[in-house]
Amino acid sequence: MTKQQNSEKEPGSFRDPSGLLFYRNGFIYRQINYTYKEHYDSLMDSGLYVALVKSELLISHQELDKKHRFSEKAYKVIQPQPISFISYPYEWCFSQLQDAALTTLDIQKKSLEFAMSLKDCSGYNIQFRKGKPVLIDTLSFEKYREGQPWTAYRQFCQHFLAPLALMHYRDVRLNQLLRVHIDGIPLDMTARLLPLRSRLHFGLFSHIHLHAKSQKHFADRTGLPARGKMSHVSILGLIDSLETAVNRLKWNPKDTEWGNYYEDLNYATEALDDKKRLVSEFLDRIQPEFVWDLGSNVGMFSRIASNKGITTISFDIDPACVEKNYLEAVHNSETFILPLLLDLTNPSSGLGWQHHERKSFMERGPADTVLALALLHHLAIANNLPFESIADFLAKISRSLIIEFIPKNDSQVQKLLSTREDIFPDYTQEDFEKVFKQFFTIQEVAKITGSQRTLYLMVSNL
Amino acid sequence: MVVETFLFTLFLFLFVIEERAYGYLDPGTGSYILQLVIGALFGAMFTIKIFWKKIKNFFNHLVLKK
Repeated sequence: MTKQQNSEKEPGSFRDPSGLLFYRNGFIYRQINYTYKEHYDSLMDSGLYVALVKSELLISHQELDKKHRFSEKAYKVIQPQPISFISYPYEWCFSQLQDAALTTLDIQKKSLEFAMSLKDCSGYNIQFRKGKPVLIDTLSFEKYREGQPWTAYRQFCQHFLAPLALMHYRDVRLNQLLRVHIDGIPLDMTARLLPLRSRLHFGLFSHIHLHAKSQKHFADRTGLPARGKMSHVSILGLIDSLETAVNRLKWNPKDTEWGNYYEDLNYATEALDDKKRLVSEFLDRIQPEFVWDLGSNVGMFSRIASNKGITTISFDIDPACVEKNYLEAVHNSETFILPLLLDLTNPSSGLGWQHHERKSFMERGPADTVLALALLHHLAIANNLPFESIADFLAKISRSLIIEFIPKNDSQVQKLLSTREDIFPDYTQEDFEKVFKQFFTIQEVAKITGSQRTLYLMVSNL
Repeated sequence: MVVETFLFTLFLFLFVIEERAYGYLDPGTGSYILQLVIGALFGAMFTIKIFWKKIKNFFNHLVLKK
């Protein structure tokens, strides 16, 4: 086996022997092994690839000369269309997970039309591109064998149906179970957590409750039934039933702590308008291509960047905010904004085998520009984080920073201090500047008209 | 629970376990067998759904023509 120089295998690409992903000179490539030749040729020759790419359900790729191969096993080397930011199902809101599930089923239906089938259904194979879910794994297909049940059925139920059902019936935050269970939420656990009334939902009764029971019963058996075939119409019926089950699940973001932030804030229109103008001016000055908005709420300031054609990841801790943000993006067919769930005090960590299968939040940076608007006081006062630690973190994840300083006499800071002792004598603008200057070079300072707040534009010294 | 157990024991006797699956992803014996059983039901429901849609479309066309 020969490995070409400057090549690095994607650590998460090891499960499927059909091929692998690797990086070389900053570009991503996919090697397709000889073992997968029959299926890859069928994908390309049957017309399925063209149909899926045309429908924006699968990322396109370009076939390269075989000299680019990673190893001698290579049948083909392809260069897939790049994805600007890799996100994971535990960072998606309810509707994002639901849309990803429906996209997966659409792909399976289309595949069956071309006598092919999805051989895996991992939620991690779906990414958001230009605001829409798309399959990024070109090796997910296999030739459909008449009579064979759907290999990826279990995975679909664990990765999509189980978390959606738990979010619908119990608590929207239960999608975080996906952080613990990398191959989807176990169905026996899902069945135990779901309320009795979920058994009245025919789809969930079949695909979760009966499914869990069947898995438990056959857990110790080896091999599969020799007789018993699944007809083509049965497969279509199964997909249709899963689609109905997914569509019947809903989650309405009710008023949460942050859901009506701007309405509750009584923010002076003058101050809000001035802040928007300043953020826009700072962005024009630094011209970033990639922005992260931390604590974005429903994305009001993220949209200042994304409406300029800048790829913007709009992070918030509140599932209701992310849901509203995503639904607005879908409603307006926005293509440059991606709302995601993120708890900054416990951001996504490296997961899976050797912590490398799923990247941590920080590994996916740095961003050209980070927006930290009305965020500092939450980290410093609500979470007791010293300015040094906040500045160090922000300098590691950004090349430039637009940050708002909110003084102690601001009503929002007073609100945080109303229920606790003020143990923050260093929370002053002077200290803030002194500490941040150790990590950043301050380029602009502007008072926000009609408020006590100040907006800074800084460039990372790291 | 009673309905589940009844349905479950019903199909337990229908299949003999002795083949292996293709592909790198283990479909899980329980998931595989469940599909064989409920697949027929879903297939029948799907056929009726498509047939019903065709009937509805036929009458919709008739109304539109008028």
